[in-house]
Amino acid sequence: MSKWQTLQTRSFLESTARQRAQGLVDEGSFTELVGPTERFISPHLPELGEAVEFDDGVVTGIGLLGKHPAIVISQEGRFIGGAVGEVGGAKMVGALKLAQSIYEKLQAENPAEVQARRPIVLISFETGGVRLHEANAGLLAHAEVMDQIQNLRHKVPVVSVVGSKIGCFGGMGFVAAATDVIVMSEFSRIGLTGPEVIEQEMGRAEFDASDRALVFRTTGGKHKYIMGDCNYLVPDSIAAFRQQAIAIAALPMDAIENLRRIGSRSAIERQMQLVAMAAEVSPTDAKDMWKAIGNENPQQLIDANYTDFMAQAKRLTPAA
Amino acid sequence: MSEQKVWNKTQRDTQERMSHASQYFKPGTKVFEAKDAVAILEAVIRSGDRVNIEGNNQKQADFLSDCLCKLDPARVNKLHMVQSSVPLASHLQAFELGIAEKLDFAYAGPQGGAVAKAIASGKLKLGAIHTYLELFARYFMDLTPRVSLICAYEADKDGNLYTGFNTEDTPLITEATKFKGGIVIAQVNKIVDKVQRVDIPGEWVDGVVQSPKPFFIEPLFTRDPALITDTHILMAMMALKGIYAEYGIKRLNHGIGFNTSAIELILPTYGEELGLKGKICTNFALNPHPTLIPAIESGWVESIHCFGGELGMAEYAAARPDIFFIGPDGSMRSNRAYSQTAGHYAIDMFIGGTLQIDKYGNSSTATAGRVAGFGGAPNMGCDAHGRRHSTPAWMKCGNEFTDQQNFLGDVPRGKRLVVQMQETFQEKLVPSFVEKLDAWKLAEQAELDLPPVMVYSDDITHILTEEGIAYLHRCKGLDQRMAAIRAVAGYTSIGLQAKPEETRALREAGIFKTPEDLGVDRSRANRSLLAAKSIKELVDWSGGLYNPPARFRNW
Repeated sequence: MSKWQTLQTRSFLESTARQRAQGLVDEGSFTELVGPTERFISPHLPELGEAVEFDDGVVTGIGLLGKHPAIVISQEGRFIGGAVGEVGGAKMVGALKLAQSIYEKLQAENPAEVQARRPIVLISFETGGVRLHEANAGLLAHAEVMDQIQNLRHKVPVVSVVGSKIGCFGGMGFVAAATDVIVMSEFSRIGLTGPEVIEQEMGRAEFDASDRALVFRTTGGKHKYIMGDCNYLVPDSIAAFRQQAIAIAALPMDAIENLRRIGSRSAIERQMQLVAMAAEVSPTDAKDMWKAIGNENPQQLIDANYTDFMAQAKRLTPAA
Repeated sequence: MSEQKVWNKTQRDTQERMSHASQYFKPGTKVFEAKDAVAILEAVIRSGDRVNIEGNNQKQADFLSDCLCKLDPARVNKLHMVQSSVPLASHLQAFELGIAEKLDFAYAGPQGGAVAKAIASGKLKLGAIHTYLELFARYFMDLTPRVSLICAYEADKDGNLYTGFNTEDTPLITEATKFKGGIVIAQVNKIVDKVQRVDIPGEWVDGVVQSPKPFFIEPLFTRDPALITDTHILMAMMALKGIYAEYGIKRLNHGIGFNTSAIELILPTYGEELGLKGKICTNFALNPHPTLIPAIESGWVESIHCFGGELGMAEYAAARPDIFFIGPDGSMRSNRAYSQTAGHYAIDMFIGGTLQIDKYGNSSTATAGRVAGFGGAPNMGCDAHGRRHSTPAWMKCGNEFTDQQNFLGDVPRGKRLVVQMQETFQEKLVPSFVEKLDAWKLAEQAELDLPPVMVYSDDITHILTEEGIAYLHRCKGLDQRMAAIRAVAGYTSIGLQAKPEETRALREAGIFKTPEDLGVDRSRANRSLLAAKSIKELVDWSGGLYNPPARFRNW
C-alpha cells in the first residue's frame, strides 16, 4: 500500500496537519508551499523565549481533486494549540490569494472550463484562534483571511474541514462561519468562546467545562449538524472528508452559495426564526433544542454510531 | 470479697449511647431520616472517640462527613480520626472546626495541601501515614474505631447492606468496629425492601440513612487513550519486550498512569505480534481499568480481582464473570483488603509511575507542602518478605539479584519485580530524577519522623524511562546502581553526570538497555499501535457495556 492509501483509512482525528493535507487531495498530487524547509518562523516567539516550528504550525499547499486544483490550508494543533500568528496567518492569506489568481487566470483564458476546472479551497481547522504571543499580528491575519474569503465568494468554494482534536474556536470560529461550506466529524467541535473561558467568566453553574459530554453536545459535530451550523457530517476518516470535498467540488456555484449559513437576506431570515424558536423553547441544554426539532430521544442520538445517527437525526431546516 | 469485675464496658456504653439515638429510628427498623442524622451522630459520638469516616480513594461517606462537621465542637471534640483516605474538604473541616484533633490515615489525594496546612497550624496532630494494609492491620490492633460512618448502595429496614461493585473497605471497617463493641452508622443511596445481596449483615449495623444525594465517587482509574503520547508507547514497547516477555510476568498490578494504560492498549497489537498472549498478563490485582477492555476482549486476561470499582465499569464487569469476581446476584464485589493482600503476596510484578526518584533509586510522590500519603503502592512496590511460594518470574529475578548472596550465602530466593516507569521529565519540564527527594523538606515542615518514601531503592528492580531500562537488581553494590540510574536519567542533572564509558560497560553487562539493545523499532512507536485511541473506541470494544462518566465523553 502506498503512503497515500494508508492515509485514506486513517482517523482524521488522529492525523497531523501534513497527513490531512496530503490525504485530502488526489494521490501524489500535493505540493507543499512555504514548507518547513523554507524555515519561515515566527519573529515573535524567539523574543519570548518560546520554541518555534519551521512551518509555524500551518501547512499550505496545492493538489488536485480530479480536474479541480485544490488549495489546502491545514492547521497543526500540537503546536501552541494551533493558534494563529503572523507567519501562519500570512501563509493562509497567501494560499487564498493563490486560489483567486488561479481562478482569474482560468476565467480569462478558458471561461468555458470554469465549472469543470475551478479551484476549491479546503481549510482543515485545528485551532483556538489568535496566538496570544503575537496577538495584534494574529488578529490582523484573521481579518485578512476573512477579507480574502469574501474576495473568493461566488468564484471559488471555500470549505471548512473540521475533524481534529482541538476543533475550531476563537477568531477562527468566525472564519469558519464565513466560509461557504462546513464539513465536520462527530468528534470535532466549532465555537467562538472556548468552554474553559465560558466557565471562567460565567461560572461552573453556567457551563461546566470538565463535563466533556456537555461540551460536545453543545459544540460538537452532531449538534452543529442538527442545528444546520454545519452542512455535512462525515465519518472520522481522511477518505470520508476527501469524498465529501470531491462532491462539493462538483457542485455548481449557485448550489455552493445555498450552502452558506450566513451572508444573505434569506440566511438572516432563517437565523431570526431560530432566535425566535430558541426564545420559545428557552433551552437549558442542547438536548432541549434537539427535542424541539423533533428528535424524541436525544440521548439515544448522542450515543448512536454514525450510521444510525444519520438515519435517525432530524435537522433544523437545513441550509440547503 | 473482691469487687465484681466488669468485662463489657464498651458494650454497655454502646447500649447507653444507642438509647439516646433510638427515638429517631422508624419503629421496628434501623432506619432514620436524613434530617435527624446530626442528632444521631450527637447521640453516638463522644469526645475523644476514635472515629472512622469511610473514605476510600473512590467512594466516600460524604453525607455523614458533612453531618459530623455540624456537631457542636464544645460538646464533641478531640476526635481521633482513623480512616484510609481524607480526600474530601469536609474531612479537613472537622479539624478546622476543632471537632477532630488527631489523624491516622493512608491517602490524602486532593487534600494533601490542606493536611500539611492543618498540621502546620497545629489543628491536626498527625499519628502516622500508612499504607492501606498497614492501617487496616492497626484497626485490629491499637487503632480500633469506636464509631464508624460507612456507605453503601442499598440498605433494608434491618440494616442489611448492599455495597456491591464498590464494596472496597466496608466489610473490614465494619468488622473491626462492630466486633469490638463499637457503633456502625451507614449512609446509603437507597432504602429498599430487599437488598440485591447482603454484603454486610444487618446485625453488624446500628443505623442506616438514605442520603439526600448518592455518595460521591471519583473515577480515579480512567485514563483517556486520546492523551497517550508516542513516548508512552515507546516505553510501553520496551516494557513488553524488556520486562514482561523477558521474565514471563503473568501475575501483576498496574499503576494508574498513562504509561501502564499504554501497555494495556498495545497488548492486543504489539503484544500479539510478539506472541505473548497467554504467556504474560493473565492475572491481575487491579481496579477495573477501562483501558484493559481491549486486552480482556482479545482473550489475554484470565482473572482480575478489584480493590474497588470504577465509575461506568459495573455493567461490563458483571457481563464478564469468568474474569471478574461476581456474586450470586450477578454483580461484582470489590474488596480492598483482599486485593491488597493479593497485591502484596501473590503478584510477581508491580509497575507504576512516581514523581521523583533520587540518585540512589528511592522514589516518592511527596512534594513540599503536600502530604499526599501512600495508599496501596508500597505494599505492592516491595518484595513480600513473608512470601514462600515460587513462580518462574520471581525465581528469575531472584537469581539475577546479585547482592542477595551477601545476606543469604548459597540459599536461593526469588524477588518481586518492582518497576518504576517514568519519563525523565514531567509536564513543565519538572525533572523526575533529583539529587534529594522533596520528601525530606516535607518531613521537616510537617514534623514527620522520616521522609515519606513510596518505594525504597532496595525494593526497586527496574527503572524504565524513554532512554531505556536499568536492571538495578543486576548491579553489584550501590555505586553501580547509581551509575545505572544515571544512564536512564536522560538530560536531568542526574543523567548529565553519566560517564559514557561507564554507560557502555553497563550496556555490555546487560544492566542498561536502550530501545535498540532491546530490538524495539522507534519508528513504530506511535498511536497507530493503540488498540483503542479514544474513550469511544473503548465503549465500542466493550459492545456498549462500558458507560463512561460524562467528563470523559467526546461525543
